[in-house]
Amino acid sequence: MSNLTTFPNAPLPSDKELRARRNVVRQAWRFVVLNGKMLTMVTKGHH
Amino acid sequence: MARTVILGAGIAGHTAALHLRRMLPKAHDVVVVSPNSKWNWIPSNIWVGIGRMTPEQVTFPLAPIYRRKGIEFHQALATELHGDGSAELPRPHVTVRYTDPARQGQEARLEYDYLVNATGPKLNFGATPGLGPDGHSWSVCTAGHATDAARAFAQVVGRLEAGDHQTLLIGMGHGTCTCQGAAFEYTFNAEHELTKAGVRDRAEVIYITNEVQLGDFGMDSMNFGTKRGIVPSHVFAESLFQERGVKAIMGAHVERVEPGVVHYELLDGTKGQQPFDFAMLLPPFRGADLKAFDREGADITSEVFAPSGFMKVDADYTPKPYEEWRASDWPRTYRSLRYDNVWAAGIAFAPPHPMSRPRTTPNGTAIAPAPPRTGMPSGVIGRAVAQTIAERVRHGAAGKVHTASMAEMGAACIASAGAGWLDGKAAAMTVFPIVPDPEKYGDAGRDTKETFGEIGLSAHWMKAMLHYLFLYKAKARPLWFLIPE
Ligand SMILES: Cc1cc2nc3c(=O)[nH]c(=O)nc-3n(C[C@H](O)[C@H](O)[C@H](O)COP(=O)(O)OP(=O)(O)OC[C@H]3O[C@@H](n4cnc5c(N)ncnc54)[C@H](O)[C@@H]3O)c2cc1C
Repeated sequence: MSNLTTFPNAPLPSDKELRARRNVVRQAWRFVVLNGKMLTMVTKGHH
Repeated sequence: MARTVILGAGIAGHTAALHLRRMLPKAHDVVVVSPNSKWNWIPSNIWVGIGRMTPEQVTFPLAPIYRRKGIEFHQALATELHGDGSAELPRPHVTVRYTDPARQGQEARLEYDYLVNATGPKLNFGATPGLGPDGHSWSVCTAGHATDAARAFAQVVGRLEAGDHQTLLIGMGHGTCTCQGAAFEYTFNAEHELTKAGVRDRAEVIYITNEVQLGDFGMDSMNFGTKRGIVPSHVFAESLFQERGVKAIMGAHVERVEPGVVHYELLDGTKGQQPFDFAMLLPPFRGADLKAFDREGADITSEVFAPSGFMKVDADYTPKPYEEWRASDWPRTYRSLRYDNVWAAGIAFAPPHPMSRPRTTPNGTAIAPAPPRTGMPSGVIGRAVAQTIAERVRHGAAGKVHTASMAEMGAACIASAGAGWLDGKAAAMTVFPIVPDPEKYGDAGRDTKETFGEIGLSAHWMKAMLHYLFLYKAKARPLWFLIPE
């Protein structure tokens, strides 16, 4: 018996989502947002 | 004049050394002891391991930086801690054995007023017969290991190009491993490279893990807050696995690795085998196995260190079941339980317990992911310890004690899922706090506004940016200290 698991019920990204993940303009904006989130996280960690 | 000795020049030790040197006048000595001549930005070893980066791009020699900064450097391995001094040398000291070619094998005793143990993990390949580069699998834990893994990976790609079918097995080499994020990254980077090389259809990529479900990461899973509600990290991870056609063996303890086949046991006690053409399996970690002695020379290692070899600090080590674990069990100051002038930073401190529920198979085998202590908390702890020491040097016992509890701090983790400026991909994840705190945050365990995951090209850019930023910082270039840990 194989113990290899696949995940057929996992939600797959739609074509739109996949395009968004690669879209340079949108990703440039997400890059700014991510940086902001990370910085908030970092400042919260310093005591 | 105070003398601070820092054992280890990894993320925690190097951060502590640079900050301490910046905070204290030159009259005070800052001393670093580390067996390696080079610093390694370990997160980028993943890219070395698939042939995307060279080892030179992720390492640099430490001695010139320390010379420039006025930090005394001993390329040596610390072996013994004499925190009360000894009959021959009454001041607290550590015994070190040199590893640099000029003094190879020589021993010395380094006296200290303050000591930081930042010796990180010992890569415990010996826990699983046949595991590791001296056995039958590859590793990316050091730049050297990753270089060897890249060579083997290139051969796999070559065989695929020649029309052969190949099975790549990537993951955790023991039931008590941590660092699932690194194996996850290597899996998807390898998969990405195979796709780029146009050979993906002939390759089977399998992830083997001690996690009971994907996305656990040794953190008891996470619940990501999204606009559409809470998304558990297993759904996030499973989606990526399904999208990229990666299969998984979960809840597994690797028993042994033989040439071309891994033997494992699952949570229900069943045993299995997985043949492979290429295996990259991470080892479990233990502490550096320093020995500790009292003034009379009696061995007090078990008082200073946990059985795992990590140093006991201000955590609550009372054994208790998963249901009774509390966020407040986790240390805040990282000061040694036994010594008032010794701290453990980064991976070197003994955690009070795991974060994920530990499980045992019917045969009594532990399948219990150890708690991760990633780069960000390691750096933050290193800095907090340096601040505490600087305060002690300046103000004595009245100096402020800086804290950095993993139950009160968040962490960001960018898991690369393929390199490339325009076709790269990574999963950016943030968690707050690192240690789940159901008392404060309810069943979700963490703040779901601050805990989120996102996949995209921007996360790859972030990962690449962090590579350059942290190398810049570690080289102590102008204004390095403005870059947060
Ligand atoms: C492949 C891989 C990928 C990773 N990717 C990420 C990532 O993407 N993001 C992230 O946040 N974290 C990542 N991590 C985890 C991260 O590398 C660690 O959290 C971090 O390195 C811990 O810092 P440290 O200083 O405690 O240990 P280390 O960085 O390992 O440093 C330990 C130091 O101690 C020295 N040492 C060991 N024994 C002795 C001794 N006896 N005496 C003196 N010195 C000694 C070592 O040579 C080294 O200099 C990854 C880990 C691995 C293995």
